[in-house]
Amino acid sequence: MNGVKQLRMMFDAQLKMMFRDKQTWFWSLCFPIILMVIFMIIFGGNGSGSFSATVAVSQQAAGADQAGGTEPASGMLLEGIKQIPVFEFKDDNPVSLEQGREWVEKKDIDALIVLPASGDAGQIELIVNRQNEQSAGTQAISGILERFVQHANLAAAGAEPAFAMNMTSVTTAADDIRYEDFLLTGMIGLSIAQGGLFGMADLVDMRRRGLLKRMRMTPAKMGLFGLSGMLVRLMLGVIQVVVLALIGVYGFGANLHFNWASLAVAFLAGALVFNAMGYLFSSFSRTMEAYMGVANIFSMLMMFLSGIFFPVESLPEWLQPVPKILPLTYFVEGMRDGMIYAEGLFNASFWTGMGIMAVWGAVSFLLAAQLYKNKSIAATR
Amino acid sequence: MPVLEVNRLQKAFGPVRAVEDISFSVEAGEVFTIIGPNGAGKTTTLEMIEGLVPPDSGDIRFGTLDWTRHGDRIKTEIGIQPQASAMFDLLTVEENLKLFASFYPKSRPAEEVLEMINLTDQRGRHVKKLSGGQQQRLAIGLAMINDPSIIFLDEPTTGLDPQARRNIWDIVLKLKEMGKTTILTTHYMEEAEKLSDRVCIVDQGKIVTMDTPAALIDRLTKEREVRLSFLDGEQAAIETERAAQAGSSVARTERDGTSLRLWSTKPEETLYELFGFTKDRGYRVEQISIREMSLEDVFIAFTGKEWRD
Repeated sequence: MNGVKQLRMMFDAQLKMMFRDKQTWFWSLCFPIILMVIFMIIFGGNGSGSFSATVAVSQQAAGADQAGGTEPASGMLLEGIKQIPVFEFKDDNPVSLEQGREWVEKKDIDALIVLPASGDAGQIELIVNRQNEQSAGTQAISGILERFVQHANLAAAGAEPAFAMNMTSVTTAADDIRYEDFLLTGMIGLSIAQGGLFGMADLVDMRRRGLLKRMRMTPAKMGLFGLSGMLVRLMLGVIQVVVLALIGVYGFGANLHFNWASLAVAFLAGALVFNAMGYLFSSFSRTMEAYMGVANIFSMLMMFLSGIFFPVESLPEWLQPVPKILPLTYFVEGMRDGMIYAEGLFNASFWTGMGIMAVWGAVSFLLAAQLYKNKSIAATR
Repeated sequence: MPVLEVNRLQKAFGPVRAVEDISFSVEAGEVFTIIGPNGAGKTTTLEMIEGLVPPDSGDIRFGTLDWTRHGDRIKTEIGIQPQASAMFDLLTVEENLKLFASFYPKSRPAEEVLEMINLTDQRGRHVKKLSGGQQQRLAIGLAMINDPSIIFLDEPTTGLDPQARRNIWDIVLKLKEMGKTTILTTHYMEEAEKLSDRVCIVDQGKIVTMDTPAALIDRLTKEREVRLSFLDGEQAAIETERAAQAGSSVARTERDGTSLRLWSTKPEETLYELFGFTKDRGYRVEQISIREMSLEDVFIAFTGKEWRD
């Protein structure tokens, strides 16, 4: 039929236009990749995924001769510290206090542990560079050392610890979720959302250049043209998911656990909702600049408030309600359900999220359709 | 029977009355040109006829078809080249033609159109890499892809160099040969004179006059301008001017050194008398001309406005 042929030709044409537009490639693939790589490098840890610190040990001079001479009493403490697996020692033997301080100042080591002169009692001192005083590394070292000291105290008192703590994190499918996985899926969600928010720029451009009007001079079915555009953008979305996922998995060792059904539902819902929002922006933007401005504001706000880079829970208390109304929050959650938590479709929170997104999509679309009709903006050159 | 009838069209945009009263009809195979200054209502008139803007009152009929009942039928019967060329920049010439062809139930093969608009060699180029003239030819090609019987060309040559303009004229003449009806607007008098069967002059939303170019010019020829210049000094010119002023058909004269201009209602008769006079006196005439009237003069005469390109 004529309609099918028309749809095919329109799809063909829009596909070609997308592939030939270098901007599309940059913003939908290069830019998210660059952003993801930067975030992975800054926040993704050092690749091995586990914490370690370089330290050195020194000893209080017991009012006596040479620092560095191991006295038997604190020798036990030293041996104990050496057992701690995450500490790497710059020098296996205790060094002089001066030498240790110098290393700390130069940041050759993360911390210097100063043992008391006698093994019976006294302070264990931790010397760190002031610049690093508040860093996570310092917190970890001092925490570890404190535990060690408690153990030593208990041992010295000859008591057995009454309580012990054991931490296990729980998710439904996989217990090896790491920041890389979280960030990767966040980036995938973000780039699909941006594809929708910015994708309707074409429409503004077509209107500005009189192309929409030109098409209205023909019996072309504009609905089919819109549909073919949607299909092309969905294709681009699939390419984005695949490319970013491959880079995340092979470049940064992310682990993905798929649930294809929820991934497909979340992906489609997201693509539709954010395209509807883009359509809304295009309905009231007369120029490309205006459109880009609005799309940028929305994408920026949502980018930082929707748990793309960090969990929503890390936001300050008073800001917590905001992500609960943003569609991107639920989209990214849905994508994570489908890509890392392998959460199936039979899950109330998944559908609540999809429902909130659907509201955004429906309101945007209806409002846009009304605006297009009222202002008959399509008719102006 | 006319292929297009326009009857008492009116359109206002807020307080601005863009089109006040326009009626005309176009016969099959005609090239019908609408000229007028900027803001005269040409484009609004065209857009109403093209079905883009609903008129406030008046009607538009394509034979037995009208916009309210036969919108899609009319769209398949007409082809439009809008003033601002609107095409898909990232597609090639041929891809644009084929995409537009798919919008219509019937279409002319892209190869034929490429040949007619002389873009066969550029068929694989992206539209944004074409020159202005080539883009304009493609715009006309897109207007004829559905093999329409009526083609609207809205200022097809504005902003083009003389060679590119001539190429477009060739296309318009070819369309005429094919028996298509063309409705043209232009800024160039020369173009209207050369291409049109009939010209309609529009000013301030109304039709000032409408006829064939020749008849319009004819209506103006109350007085024609005659120029003479002499080889034998100013005295010859002065004497001849005096003799001319004595003649009954000369309205006025102007002299500048050895050259003389006079306006006569019967230029042939005036010249006959003057040649008798100069022959008697033995004055030698260097140059002589009767100025052709152009549509520009028609325009100035009817609107009282200077023509500006």
